Formats: sequence, C-alpha cells, structure tokens
Amino acid sequence: MRINTSRFGRIDIDAADIISFPSGLPGLEGCREWALLADATNDALGWLQSTTRGDVALAVVSPRRFVPDYQVRIPRSELTPLAIADLRQAQVVVIVGSNGKTLTLNLKAPIVINLEARTGRQVVASGELPMQYELPCATPGLKKSA
Amino acid sequence: MLVLSRQRDESIMIGDNIVVTIVDIRGDKVRLGINAPSEIPVHRQEVYEAIQRENLRAARLEPGDTEGLGRLADRGAAQGPKKPNDGPRR
Repeated sequence: MRINTSRFGRIDIDAADIISFPSGLPGLEGCREWALLADATNDALGWLQSTTRGDVALAVVSPRRFVPDYQVRIPRSELTPLAIADLRQAQVVVIVGSNGKTLTLNLKAPIVINLEARTGRQVVASGELPMQYELPCATPGLKKSA
Repeated sequence: MLVLSRQRDESIMIGDNIVVTIVDIRGDKVRLGINAPSEIPVHRQEVYEAIQRENLRAARLEPGDTEGLGRLADRGAAQGPKKPNDGPRR
C-alpha cells in the first residue's frame, strides 16, 4: 500500500508490515493501523506512522538504549489482549516527545508490540515512572499545530 | 449521570460483561474492583487524559526535532553487544 506522509513523503508499506492497534492510542483513537519505519539517519530512532493519516507519526525508541536501568512492569491484564505471556516475546518502545526545552520519553505509557501477530497496544506501566523523562538534548522550537 | 447507591461488596453491571464491585470504603476513598473483557482498556481518568495529552504533543514532533538523539543512544553503558532485535525496525 502506498501512503502520502507529511514527514517522509510517499512511502510504500507491505500489508504484512502493518501493525494493528485494536484499541487505538489515547488521543489518537482513530488511528488503528500503523507501520514501524526506521529513521533515515538515526538508527536508534523509529517512527510509528499511521497508515490512515499521513500527518500522524510518533517517534519511538527502545527505552533501554537511553535509560539502561528502565525496568518496565506491566499488569498481565494489559498484555492479554496482545496474546503474549511475557515481555520477552514483545518489542517495547517508548514515545519521544518534547516539553519545549528538551526531548522527553514517555516511560509511564510504553507501546508493546507483538511482532509475530503484528498487534500493538499502549499500556500503563506499574510504579512511579515519568511521562516526560527528560533527555539531555535540546529541541528546536516546536510548531504550535499538529 | 446515573447515580446508584451501593454498599461494600455490592456491584453494578455495565452491559453484560463489565462488573464494577465496591471492594472497600475508607473515609473519602473507595476501592473498586473492575472485571471487564481484556480488550476494554480500563484507566484512571487523570492518567488516561495525561497519556492523551502526551501523545498529541508527541505527534507534533518532526524528524528535524530529533537531531541529537543519536549521540545519546547506548551512552548508558558498556553493556556488551547490542541485541539484534533491540532497535525499532520495519
């Protein structure tokens, strides 16, 4: 399938690469199907691109590469819809945001992807974890509109 | 809004597959037990709203905003070789 994206231009996505999020993502409930793209220049970064809205994409990273002691505990009830018994069967990524000063990671609500079944879900991890973990990395001013 | 009075250990049903039980009442705090099908996400409202806000804010990020991220990766450690499946890939 071919989609026009605001960030990456026109891209081709294999149907087999589409990851479905049956519950959507909070705030982006309408976007149920996404593709995980590698960033062109930064191998630590990926982009979850909505396949239905070309203007919607989320930057994601493997949290351990930035926060080595990140221990994610997720209630089993959050994992059962993904049909995975434990996190070793899954890819866990966190969403990169910005608080206007620095890039941030949402460690509280990681995205868990069952790579085999190609389903994903944003879950709420147990314990005290920040939604805006600040990375020592300044961001250029962000545009005001989505 | 529908308002129902319940005592401890009593429940209400929402549809035919969601049961909300009053587990405990102590002062101004009520503990609820929720039994719902696994495909129905259950969140504390303020947590859900915070995730919504955070996702919408993150969706504004453009590739150009992420410069500088690369040099931060794997700084945490000499933890041995990277696992092959460690980074997001198509």
